Amino acid sequence: MFYIHDNACISPQRTFPEAESDLEQISEASEGKLFAREPAYDKIPLGVLRRMGKAARMGVGAAMELVTQKPDGIVIGTSEGGLEDCIKFLNQIIEYKEGVLTPTNFVQSTTNAIAAQIGLLSANKGYNCTHAHRGLSFENAMLDAYMLLEEGKKKKYLLGAVDEISAYNYNIERLGGSYKSDPVKGPELYEMHTAGTIAGEGAAMFLVNKSADSAIAHVQDIKTLHTRDVARVATELRAFLTKNEKQMARTSLLISGENGDERVQKYYSACEEVLGPNIPVARYKHISGEYGTANSFALWLATRILQGHPLPAHFYKHAAPVSPVSSILIYNNYKGLQHSFILVTDPQETPYLA
Amino acid sequence: MSRIFVTGMGIVSALGEGKELNRIALMQGNTGIGKTSYLQTRYADLPLGEVKLSTEEILCRLNRKEPGMTRTALLAFLALNESIRDSSLSEQGLGSEQTALIGANTVGGICLTDELYRDSNSSEKGSPYLFSYDCGSVSLFLQSYFKIGGIVSSINTACSSSANAIMYGARLISSGLAGRAIVGGCDSLAKFTINGFNALHILSDEPCRPFDQQRKGLNLGEGAAFLVLEKEELCRGKKIYARVSGYGNSNDAFHASSLSENGEGPFLAMKQALFKAGLEPGEINFINAHGTGTENNDEVESRAMIRLFGTVPPFASTKASTGHTLGAAGAIEAVFSIQNIYHGEFYPGLRFGEPISGIGLIPLTEYLKLETNPNHIMSNSFGFGGNCTSLIFSKV
Repeated sequence: MFYIHDNACISPQRTFPEAESDLEQISEASEGKLFAREPAYDKIPLGVLRRMGKAARMGVGAAMELVTQKPDGIVIGTSEGGLEDCIKFLNQIIEYKEGVLTPTNFVQSTTNAIAAQIGLLSANKGYNCTHAHRGLSFENAMLDAYMLLEEGKKKKYLLGAVDEISAYNYNIERLGGSYKSDPVKGPELYEMHTAGTIAGEGAAMFLVNKSADSAIAHVQDIKTLHTRDVARVATELRAFLTKNEKQMARTSLLISGENGDERVQKYYSACEEVLGPNIPVARYKHISGEYGTANSFALWLATRILQGHPLPAHFYKHAAPVSPVSSILIYNNYKGLQHSFILVTDPQETPYLA
Repeated sequence: MSRIFVTGMGIVSALGEGKELNRIALMQGNTGIGKTSYLQTRYADLPLGEVKLSTEEILCRLNRKEPGMTRTALLAFLALNESIRDSSLSEQGLGSEQTALIGANTVGGICLTDELYRDSNSSEKGSPYLFSYDCGSVSLFLQSYFKIGGIVSSINTACSSSANAIMYGARLISSGLAGRAIVGGCDSLAKFTINGFNALHILSDEPCRPFDQQRKGLNLGEGAAFLVLEKEELCRGKKIYARVSGYGNSNDAFHASSLSENGEGPFLAMKQALFKAGLEPGEINFINAHGTGTENNDEVESRAMIRLFGTVPPFASTKASTGHTLGAAGAIEAVFSIQNIYHGEFYPGLRFGEPISGIGLIPLTEYLKLETNPNHIMSNSFGFGGNCTSLIFSKV
């Protein structure tokens, strides 16, 4: 489909800047939340930074590392955008009984504000689009980027995702039963066998084009589906494996979106069953938390692995891979309804034939 | 590459429910803008384009109990339902992996301002709307209600959202990721947006006057529209309204809530749409302008049109009739543009009196029945964050 050439990730862990990434020492969730470790954002003008909500800071902050390469456009996935600004404005409406309000929070609350800010700060007049489709926002941004690259094979795009934990969306999700009430420590998340997960946030940005030259990862295929039927998920995975038979023959790792919520575990278990016992399984939501675009963190992890940085032991469900990983399947589902399969391979091993 | 045809349309706006009622209202120069009956707000005296149906009335049309339904999702339901019936899509067709659904909106369930306030701030039991606030909630409801089997997304690029949904759907078909795409958008009037636009001082206290020197701002509206797009091979024997021939998306990269003086974003979006359609500027017969009635938009859009076209083709803004329906606007105006082609007629822009000084452009102010159906209609949508999109529909 396309190649990833560069990446940047702001997350609850030491992932930014890229060169200083360290996934051995992990930050634990506090009160069920994994807040991002925000950097100083020295590439965002101070006056602009001060007015930004957290989602915008993280998204723009990560993107600023890559926009120097002058992408031809910007495609962002976000399930909520800057919800904090949105609710701040909403609170003003109620508390001031629709009186005289300041428009800053309103303007910043629009879901497209992050992609727009990136465009504004990098003077990018190209394609600019924001997919806000809850748990498949990032995957649709990926499909969008894929099509852009099919339409203009010499072009390159900034592709990314961002979501924040705000006091408000945390409260809404908590009321809706999305989170565990007991404290969670690291990978114990997966052993609790209770409903709910932990909240997370972050931004992951990628520079993508159609050239294998010096690429760091090759996105081979993406499949999305909406269903609550476990058998259908398994059937779709089998079809995906058959379609990508050649690459799959070498698949040596499953990055699973398992999040400790026993209500959706059946989907992850079904996928593991389809893949068989010989494929190691890596899990990451104990360090990223759950959010609508958490799969962008999984893709960032895949690019790390393919660049020769093996994952530390705390990621692995059973055993770590015995040989170098050259082909990775990422499976995620959001609340048991929105599923995706992404196949990522070592770009140097699979020359692109199209 | 196979051509992309429009085989079904559905719409609900302040002008009425369904494409025939909307068309008749436009032909007669009626306006949907006036006092509201349903929306509770301190600004209820402002002219607004409200859909003349209560949320409860639309809820009854669902014919089944659905928890957490918002007005935004219900308006989308009405329009989408009309579009798939119009295109005679079967259950099997809807469930096919080849059928995509791309929705768009900007307010989502935030129309329930007071419920959201409580759910986001209170520690008590949540309302039934907990998972109905986000942009994606509308497409997710439509997907599950109509059991749509292919790619599903939701787009939010502010006021150009549904133009981008149409563009994304057309590209899914072009690229082979879908054979058919149901595309459109919706938004409902909300305290949230009324207060937001009011704080920006761009709401007019009179019915809006797009492209008029004396314009005082925009009127918010609500509504929804969906189109069924299909690749040519799937259209044998079907009624075909028009084809999607061009689209362009560009960012103005100037300011969060206003357009650059020269309208670089609008200019580039229109130019790319022409390029995609393989057309010269002179081949566009009519432009359904973004024309919100704000000081900034109408002047900048005019300037961009003049830069690109030299002699600007006949144009008008139907927002004087529907109000600015935000995330629905691109799709609603796509329906009107396609009706321009299919029925061979242009709809007037209302309440125009005096051209903008230094610009001098005069929109079409009378209904015009044409002798031959026009070949190419352009529809513009520009949003906050500089998100500009232009679409071109052509006669088949």
